Amino acid sequence: MKTEEALSIARQLVEEWEFKTKTERPEPNRLDVALTTVDDLIPIVVGLRVIRLGYLAAITGLDLGPDEGDLEILYHFCTAAAVITLRIRIPRQDASVPSLTEIIPSAEAFERELSEMFGVEVVGLRNKMRLYLPEDLPEDVFPMRKDISDQEISQSVTLQEI
Amino acid sequence: MSEVGKRESFTVPIGPQHPALKEPEHFLISVDGEIVTDATVRLGYAHRGIEKAVESRTWVQSLYMLERICGICSHIHAMAYCLGVEQLAGVEVPPRAQAIRVLVAELERIHSHLLWFGVAAHEAGFDTLFMYTWRDREKVMDLLEGFSGNRVNYSVNVLGGVKFDIDDTQEIAIREAISFLEERTHHYLDVVTQDAMFLQRTRGIGVMTRSQAEVLGTVGPTARASNVYREIRVEAPYAAYDKYPVKIILDSRGDLEARFVVRLTELFESYRVILEILETLPDGDLTTRIPRRIKAGETVSRVEAPRGELFYFIKSNGSDTPERIRARTPTICNMMSVVKLLVGHQLADVPMILAGVDPCFSCNDRMVVLNRGRKMEQLFTWEALRQYGIDYYQRHSA
Repeated sequence: MKTEEALSIARQLVEEWEFKTKTERPEPNRLDVALTTVDDLIPIVVGLRVIRLGYLAAITGLDLGPDEGDLEILYHFCTAAAVITLRIRIPRQDASVPSLTEIIPSAEAFERELSEMFGVEVVGLRNKMRLYLPEDLPEDVFPMRKDISDQEISQSVTLQEI
Repeated sequence: MSEVGKRESFTVPIGPQHPALKEPEHFLISVDGEIVTDATVRLGYAHRGIEKAVESRTWVQSLYMLERICGICSHIHAMAYCLGVEQLAGVEVPPRAQAIRVLVAELERIHSHLLWFGVAAHEAGFDTLFMYTWRDREKVMDLLEGFSGNRVNYSVNVLGGVKFDIDDTQEIAIREAISFLEERTHHYLDVVTQDAMFLQRTRGIGVMTRSQAEVLGTVGPTARASNVYREIRVEAPYAAYDKYPVKIILDSRGDLEARFVVRLTELFESYRVILEILETLPDGDLTTRIPRRIKAGETVSRVEAPRGELFYFIKSNGSDTPERIRARTPTICNMMSVVKLLVGHQLADVPMILAGVDPCFSCNDRMVVLNRGRKMEQLFTWEALRQYGIDYYQRHSA
């Protein structure tokens, strides 16, 4: 792909995303982009990659609690002092986001962590093995969700000889 | 045994006990003969559930919790957290406190780099160098102990400032130690760039190109040794780094030797900054008042830990406990690059490549308290693999 072509595609993409999404400047060095649908994630990340804007510094999961009924997933892209955060809200039930590993291979570790800690299905992630959690923790226990306490996590572990 | 003509790969499990830096981690390395064909890593053996734990503790209690994420770079974790919380609370920290924070952060970087240098020398079978570097590292440990009373987890930070002040005797001790270390570091830099035996283990090994380093998302000295311009102290100065700027150290070679050179050269910057702070330490208070409840909001706090960018995301709901704290440590970024980097290398090079990124496993492993032993047949312990590497190079050196 030629540079000029890539640039024009990126510009188109950015304008689309400006059109669809709300941005906010919570702090002077931060730009928050609230995505309206999960489908926007991949195009915007591709757009950021194409114009070489920042690197994926982290993926943060937030549980807004059972009352709100949503999870919020934050993708932080950093370049120099700037932090661009893509924010997606997804329902706690059947939570799922597309994987970024095809575009950014280093996203794998963050996505595996997100998936095991918050119970978010990452569609397209090849290696779905647990990264941190032990095998004897039941599959349906997601430690970083707000409705489970430290004690409940410990109690849910089945004691068994491996 | 496999049939004649049929090639089979052989899987070598390493760990979970005793990989580099004597912490538990499990690597599964597939080899075809001597060549590594695949590598995976299983983290989590030192997972303590800190991110979950801080959600049920107050802002002040969380500081002490987060400081214990890592024993080597404890100060930088506490500093990242404090800077973030102070930002949320809208509190201005006195300049003297910020300067002392930077001073301790640089002392910590010196001790961390020297510790790593010794361990890496040990993995190469260069135990004399290991003994020398760790002897020299004691100078910094003594400074930190004299200053704060602790060798690890110095607990220098409090929300809104620092606990300890620098007096004249400490200033003299720091100056003496720095001039000693500066001379030693010149010597070490000569060793890693000139010693033929050492170069055999480092030059041209574990090469990571600039684009690989970017794609694999490396940070810190590992990235800078591949000529990636990534240094938070320079790009986004925090605390007092705007008053005491540091120079970024880059190397374009991307091999193990470059990682040694970058880290050792960085030490000179640390020495310079420390002396500069001692010269121009501003007068004034050490702390400022900070409310018990922190205003609702979110912030991102990024600092340069000895191993690379440390990323904190902090969310407050307006109460006296944090809503969510996310700590992304540098080793998790670098570790994934290593797993990819091993492929195609000799099995004998595995210990050095792994040690080359300065892995810190307790930094990675947080979040859930469960940590149970597993029975796993070990074909290779770390010690055995290290010895294998040393023997291999002794056999193959002229």
